[in-house]
Order: sequence, then structure tokens, then C-alpha cells
Amino acid sequence: MKIGFYPKLAFDGIRKNARLYVPYFLTSTVMIVMHYIILFLSSNKAVSAIRGGDIIQSLLGMGGGIMAVFSCLFLFYTNSFLIKRRKKEFGLYNVLGMGKKNIALLMMCESIICAAISLILGLGIGILFSKLFELGLVNVMRSSSISYDFSVSLPSVIRTAAVFGIIFALIFLNSLRQLRTSTAIDLLKSENTGEKPPKGNIFLGLVGAALLAGAYYIAVTVKNPLSAITMFFLAVIMVIIGTYLVMISGSVIILRALQKNKRFYYRPQHFVSVSSMVYRMKRNGGGLASICVLSTMVLVMISSTACLYADTETTIKTRYPRELNYSMTFDDGSMMGEEGSAKLERLKEKIEEYVSGKGAGINNTIDYRCAYTAGVLSRDRIEADPATADTMNAIGVLDGLYEIFFVPLKDYNDTMGTKEALGGGEALVYLSTGTYSYPTISFNRGKTFDVRPIHKMFEPGEAVASIVPSMFIIVNDVEDATEEISKIANYNGDSLVRFEWIYEFDTGAEPERQYDIGYGLFNDLLLNEEDRAEAGGFRSRYEVRETEKADMYALNGGLFYLGVVLSLVFLVATVLIIYYKQLSEGYEDRSRFEIMQKVGMTKKEIKKSISSQILTVFFLPLILAAVHIIFAFPIIYKIISLMFASDAALVLGLTTAGSFLLFTVFYVIIYKVTSGAYYRIVS
Amino acid sequence: MSILEVQGLKKTYTSRFGGTKVEALKNVNFSVEEGEFVAVMGESGSGKTTLLNILAALDRPTGGTVMLEGLDVSKIKESSLAAFRRDNLGFVFQEFNLLDTFTVEDNIYLPLVLAGKPYKEMQSKLMGISQRLGISALLKKYPYEISGGQKQRAAVARAMITDPVLILADEPTGALDSKSSDELLRLFREVNSTGLTIIMVTHSTKAASVAGRVLFIRDGEVYHQLYRGNGSDREMYQKITDTLTLLTTGGDNI
Repeated sequence: MKIGFYPKLAFDGIRKNARLYVPYFLTSTVMIVMHYIILFLSSNKAVSAIRGGDIIQSLLGMGGGIMAVFSCLFLFYTNSFLIKRRKKEFGLYNVLGMGKKNIALLMMCESIICAAISLILGLGIGILFSKLFELGLVNVMRSSSISYDFSVSLPSVIRTAAVFGIIFALIFLNSLRQLRTSTAIDLLKSENTGEKPPKGNIFLGLVGAALLAGAYYIAVTVKNPLSAITMFFLAVIMVIIGTYLVMISGSVIILRALQKNKRFYYRPQHFVSVSSMVYRMKRNGGGLASICVLSTMVLVMISSTACLYADTETTIKTRYPRELNYSMTFDDGSMMGEEGSAKLERLKEKIEEYVSGKGAGINNTIDYRCAYTAGVLSRDRIEADPATADTMNAIGVLDGLYEIFFVPLKDYNDTMGTKEALGGGEALVYLSTGTYSYPTISFNRGKTFDVRPIHKMFEPGEAVASIVPSMFIIVNDVEDATEEISKIANYNGDSLVRFEWIYEFDTGAEPERQYDIGYGLFNDLLLNEEDRAEAGGFRSRYEVRETEKADMYALNGGLFYLGVVLSLVFLVATVLIIYYKQLSEGYEDRSRFEIMQKVGMTKKEIKKSISSQILTVFFLPLILAAVHIIFAFPIIYKIISLMFASDAALVLGLTTAGSFLLFTVFYVIIYKVTSGAYYRIVS
Repeated sequence: MSILEVQGLKKTYTSRFGGTKVEALKNVNFSVEEGEFVAVMGESGSGKTTLLNILAALDRPTGGTVMLEGLDVSKIKESSLAAFRRDNLGFVFQEFNLLDTFTVEDNIYLPLVLAGKPYKEMQSKLMGISQRLGISALLKKYPYEISGGQKQRAAVARAMITDPVLILADEPTGALDSKSSDELLRLFREVNSTGLTIIMVTHSTKAASVAGRVLFIRDGEVYHQLYRGNGSDREMYQKITDTLTLLTTGGDNI
């Protein structure tokens, strides 16, 4: 045979099977486009120029790896559909005198054509749209560093071509393996081999149900946000395995049980549906489980990253109520008294001088000293020990955990503009969770105070931003009140009590200048040895709201973007699985419905039966995904609350509901389109 | 009393672009009495499958009438056709047409389930039929587990279970080996002897020789018919072969 014959035959084969190949091309093209764009962005200069861009780029790099693995698995999966359908054709060639060698050559030509078309299309579209995606990312990260030059990343092109070249080669080798092990008759008959009635494996079904129940239990009961992260991954793996087992075995077991119930089974509306469903579930259990898992992933990714992104502004506002934020940590409690107050006044004068020297002012100040610790409140007693001080690990594990701020009465009165007076054994107490209702408060070591509850309190951003509720105890002498507790050491060997001075203010300067002022103040003044010694010795931290905001937008925006990109890929995968599922079922069901029509089923009855089956098969994964999401909500909420200032429940609820709604609409559209393809085949 | 009356039956197929017209049936007239066993013979393309499809109400005639028990089949509304088929006709096909997702038992139940009959009634009906057809042991098996002959017997059971007025068989022995064919034909005669009317379309002289009457179709018309009378199968076989020889050698009148 002439060499030119193979490409022509291969080309014809693809053209004649357009219904199968077009979606395959579309998928591989989308995968290639996304892969190129992810690589392109991960090495893009405009992105790395953004604050926080390097983090996003390393995340994108990982995303590229995930994409490659996923594409490989997925293209293998879709290719198995193609091979199944094409086997008959190859069998015919075999019978007509083409040797296996010739068929292998033909398959190679097809693979090369497939690879070439997908790569050319994919890379072309990828390069064309890369600028758009770059602008999107830069925009979502709220950066102004927009560049208008168009570039092609050659390394990304080469790597994408290499990755997908290997994937297509692997797929070809796998097809060869299938060809080698089958005879001409096998190839011809491969489409209609008799199938054993499926028997659900009860053990596997139970294991699946147990895994799901276990994962749900973990998700609902986990309390500590830090352990939530590790438990989340455990739960995800359990849910994935559980979903597959339940979809494959569980559904068959249930249907077999329905078949055993004669009075239910032998009704016109159940008879055909139930018996076909058993086979459908056996054949499609895996596919349906994949759809369910992918849908869940998309929903979780989109809702959580959207939630983070949507709440960035509020988070920043609550975490940083003022433009510039300083906190000075003192070595001991000696600065908490009158003397310390006078020293700080002198420091403040210097600060004011410095800021006005820069052409800005100090307004709207929050200015107080405090002794910070953490403890467990039970009734009217606080237990503070190294375990409670380790708040991140104690959240959700220890009930009644509070962050405790001892504030000198002078600072309270100055900040709030009040004229409260306290006796030696008296304290004002404020709880962020409600009113403190006991007459006294005492500590595991040290003093007991008579309490006067207060309802108004300046809440520093840090306290509001924390997931641990806060308690303010206002006393005359903070050093005295915390004397005993401060002798206890935490796990790092430091004192359980930290003495701090918080100084936060607005400058009224342009946002772009705020960083210069904030950093200058820190660097020129607060790091100055002389000034520090004069003010009693301290270590200082500073945070400028504008830069924190930029960082946060870069990170949350980048995560959101990554979530959207990966969701897009998973979505394409979902659509394709559904499409092929419908097609292959259509071909299998066609002859069955012909028979039923001959035996006396009306077209209407058939249509009703078909749509009830398709509907079940179609929406089963979506319903299970919804259940997954509902149970995942508490654990995702815990994790997100770690990064959140405001109450995330509402925002997360909204983004979850929103993405689910959007996804459902999208899903229904796919349903309409693909079931149309199905009906065309069947009738 | 004749239960089936076919008069002036015509079927013309028009090619998709309205060009050539093909007359599959020109003018078919015959009637079938209750309890008869009629074989319809003819070469490929003679129109015998078209005739069967029209009798089965799977296709509509271009002209003429088909009266089943005094009811004009071609006048039945599209929506009630399936129910009509289910209640009045039983089908046996060359390719068995058993559903591979059902056990033999469920395959036989199918028309009854579609008609909404209670399980008890279906069960008692099946008991009688499966014993008569010798498939009691096969009921729980799946179609791919049993032989062609067994499949066809299951199909016959499915055709009989609704107590139809008429059984239509389309080349029922076409996919069977000779032993299974003989068995099936014996079964047909036995079923027929209990009063069930059968019309069988076939190629096979052997199959036709079991029938009480043979209609020969050529070029869309009933060309000739043979009655068994009191003759044996062998005599019938001989008569059919003679007729076929005449037909192929081009005799215009017999």
C-alpha cells in the first residue's frame, strides 16, 4: 500500500466520526490552551512585578502540574470511548485484508493528526488569549502595573507541546495494546458482547457509605481551624473514594432490591426503567462518580475563593481601622504605670513632629497600652497556662477560650473620653461575646477583682480580626494585676503576658504616600537606639493598611483567579464526560427501544421512560454534590475564618449558594444539549 | 368466520427526493379464518415483509384495507396503535428481539406489564405457557446464556402470553439451526392446534410445509395459493417446491 494512503484513510475516519471526534478535539484543545496560559502566567513579567505576584506564580506553577496530570487521565478516559466505537471499523479493515501492522500505522496517523490539530489549535488560541488572561489576572489582583506589549513565552510553548505530545503518545500506545490483544472477530463484535447482570458488591457499597458518613462526621464536628486544614484533606480523599464506591456498588444494590419487590417492579412505569437503570449504573457508575467529584471540586473552589476575594475589602477595614498601625512590645510591665505614660508622651511628640515634617497629620488615633494573654473563662474564673496561650491549637478544643487584654484605666478614659474611677480591688470588664454577669473575676494565680461590667469598648482591629473572642479588663495598675500570670512561661519559654503599646492613626496623606510615611517613621524613629532606650526599651512592628490591602488583594485575587481557571478545566471535563456518556448510552439503547416499540410500547411511554432515566442519571451526581457541599460547609467555614476578619458565614453562604445556582443552570443547559444528541440517536 | 380480511392492499414507496416510486404491494387480497396457520412465501423484494409490517400496524398502507376482527387497522389512531398491537397481536421475529437487560421471565412478562396487569395474573399465565413450551427451567436465565432455539421459544411465549387474536412471525426459523427449526415448527403447529391463528412469513420451504395454507407473493401481488387439505408434510413440501420451480422458471399461470 502506498504511504499516502494512510493519512487519507485516517483523515476520512476522523471526518466520518465527527460526532465523536469534535468533542475530543475541543477538550484536548481547551486543555492545551489552559495549560499554556497557566505556564505563560507563571513566568509572566507583568505578574511577577505585582506585590505577592511571586506567590501566585508558584501556585500557578503547581496548577500547571495538576493540569498536566489531570489532562493525561482525562484524555485517556475520553479516548477509551473513541476506541470502543472505532473497534468495529478497525475489525472490518482487518477482515478486508489489512494486517494489524497496517491498522497500527493507520492508528498512528490518526494519533498524529489528532495531536497536530489539537496542538496547533490549542497553542494558537492560547497565545492569542494569553494577553487577555494576563490582564484579567493583573486586574483581579488590583494592580496598576499593566503592560501593553504582547509576548509569546517560547519555553511555555515547548513545555506544553512536550507534555501533550507525551500524553498523545501514551494514548496511542494504549490503543496499540488493545489492538494487539484482540482478534478480528473481537474487533467486529466488540460493541455487542452479552453482559452479565450486574451484582452490587454489598461490602464495597457499605464501605463507601461508611467513608461518606465518616467524612461528613469529620466535616461537621471539627472545631479547631488548624486541624480543620489537615482533616479537610483527609475528608476530601474519603469523599472521593466513598462517592465512587457508593455510585458503583450502592446504586446497583438499591436497584436490585427494588427488582426483588415484585409489586413495585412489575408496574409499567417501573419495569423498564429499573431494569435498564441497573445496567446504566453499572456502566456509568464510575463516570457519574467522576462527574459528582468534579462538580464538587468546582463548587468548593469557586465558592471559597470567591468568598475570600469578595470579603477582602471588609477584612482590611476591620483588621486595620486606621491607615498606619504600630505596636510596641515592652520587655516588662514597668511601662504600664504613670512613669511609662510620661515616657510615651515624649515619644508621641517626636512621632508627631516626624509626621508633620512629612506634610501629614495624626488624626483619629487609637492609643492604649495593654497586657495581653489568653485563658479559659469558666464562670467567674480565668485559667491561663501555656496550653491556653497557644491559641491557634486551643481554638475549638478548649471551651471558653478568650484573648485577654488588661488595659490601664488612664488609657481607657483617654481613648473613650470617659471619667471612670476605680478602687484598688475593682475592674471594668468587657466581653466581645456579651455581658459579663458575675460580681467578681479571679485568675488561677493572683488577684480577685470586683467587677463593673461595661458595654462600650474601643475594639482594636487585631482583636476583632481574631477568631478567638476577646475580653478587656480595665484596672488601675496593670503590672500589679498581671504580676502572677506573667511569671508563667509559655511553650517558647517567654512570659505568658505580653506588654504592648498600640498606636494607630490616620495621616490624611495620599494612599501612595502612606507607605513612605509609615515605613519612614518605623525606620528613622522607632528603630533609633536612643529613642527606644528613652522610651523604656521596646521592639516595634508596623503595618500600613494600603500595603496590607495590596498584598491581600494580590493573594486572594490570585487564588480566586486560579480557582476560576481550574474550575473552567474541570467544567469542560464534566461536560465531556456527560456528552460521551449520553452518546454511548444512546447507541446502546437504540436497539433496545426498537424492540420495545415492536412489543407494544408506545412512543410516548418510551419517551417518558427515557427521560425519567436520563433525568435520574443526570441529576444524581448534582444532588450528591449538593449534599457534599452542605456537609463541607462547616469545615470550609472554619478554614476560611482563619483568614477572615468579618463574619464569613454569610459571605461564604452567599458565594456557595451563588456558585451552586450558576452551576445548576449550566448543568441544565448541558443536559438539554446532550439529551438532544441522545434522542437523535435513539429515535 | 374470517378474522383477517385484506382487500386491495397497496403500498408505494417514494424515494426521498420524490423521484422514483416503488410499488412494494400492488393489489393484495386474501382473508384468514380463525385458527388457520398461513405461510406467506416469496423471494426477497417480493413485498412479503412490507405486507407483514402493514398487518402488524407498524406501517400504513397507501391504499386498501386491513380488517382485523371487523376493525379497520389503518384507521386506528397513531396514539392507540401500540396498545392495539399489544392487545391483539403477538410477534415472533427472526432475530428473537429479546431484551438483554431482562431475564427470560421478565422478557415474557413485558407486554403484560405494559398493559398494567397485576403480578399474580401474569405469574399464573406464565406457568401454563412455560410448561407447554418447555422453558420452565430457563425463566431465571438471561438471553445471552441460552441457545437460539431456546431464545425463540421464549419469544413465542412472549407473543402468546397476551392471548392475541393473531400471531405474526417474520422468518422465525431464519436464525436457527435445522434441529431447532424443526422443534420450533412443531411448536407452532401445536400452538395452532389449540386454536391460535398464525401468519408466518418465510423463505424456507420446510417451514412453509408445516402450514395449512401457503400464499405466494410475487411483484406485490398474491400470485398463487396452496391448501394442505389432508396431505402430509411431505406432500405439502413437494407441492411447494413444484410451485416455486414454476414460479422461477417463469410460468405465468399455474
